[in-house]
Amino acid sequence: MTNGQPELLRGLPPDEADRVLSLGKRLNLTSGAELFHMGAPADSLYLVSQGRIKLTLPMQIRGNQQDVFVEERTPGETVGWSALIPPHQFTLTATAPLQTEVIAFSREALLAHCAAFPAIGYAISVNLAAVVGQRLQLFQAMWLREMERMVELRCA
Amino acid sequence: MEMLLMGACLSLFGLAVTCLAFGAATRTEEPSAVEARPAVAKAAVASPARFFVSPAIIPMAEHAQVPIEALLLQIESHVRLEQAAAESFLQTPTPALLHSKTISPLVN
Repeated sequence: MTNGQPELLRGLPPDEADRVLSLGKRLNLTSGAELFHMGAPADSLYLVSQGRIKLTLPMQIRGNQQDVFVEERTPGETVGWSALIPPHQFTLTATAPLQTEVIAFSREALLAHCAAFPAIGYAISVNLAAVVGQRLQLFQAMWLREMERMVELRCA
Repeated sequence: MEMLLMGACLSLFGLAVTCLAFGAATRTEEPSAVEARPAVAKAAVASPARFFVSPAIIPMAEHAQVPIEALLLQIESHVRLEQAAAESFLQTPTPALLHSKTISPLVN
């Protein structure tokens, strides 16, 4: 893990953060291994503890479907927040481009802990909203830049 | 004899006309080929030399020949550059950062 707390546990006292981390199960992924596939049921949320997770989407290129790079998650970052948000289906495919370790939290365990300790549940919700919001803002800016280029090409 | 010479002259004249017609027919195809070349050349010229950028910049017009693996790498590089640009904008939201030009070979 990186220095400091994982983004999902930011703001939690160290003992409470450790208690949440103890709910997780460490998974080791070999290079090229798939963590989850787009469209699959999202039952677990993951924290990257070592290595990297590459997120891809299928794109039609020259009549063939190819997985295209969308984002990369590094140690301390969260992957698979669809596990906590209905309809609980992954919207991207996640693979490990190198030897990677993630901590998997089952939805049931995480939600039960959050229900038992509402202050922790609140902090996790706020952190999760920050992750989702940051991604939304990032892709809004990227979308606008692509639109701008498309309009430029149209008007050229 | 005169008839023979006249026949030979007419044959030569016919051959000359045929050659001219052939030349004219083939010349009409050349300008489009010539026009196509400057377009590629323009695309290559349009991407100015930059420090620390791979010189192997492939213009969009030539993407059909790029192997799929190379194209996927170009897309990945483009996405990373765009994310970096978007992150800069989110740190300091100004129109200048939002509209900053990319060095991505995919769009240059």
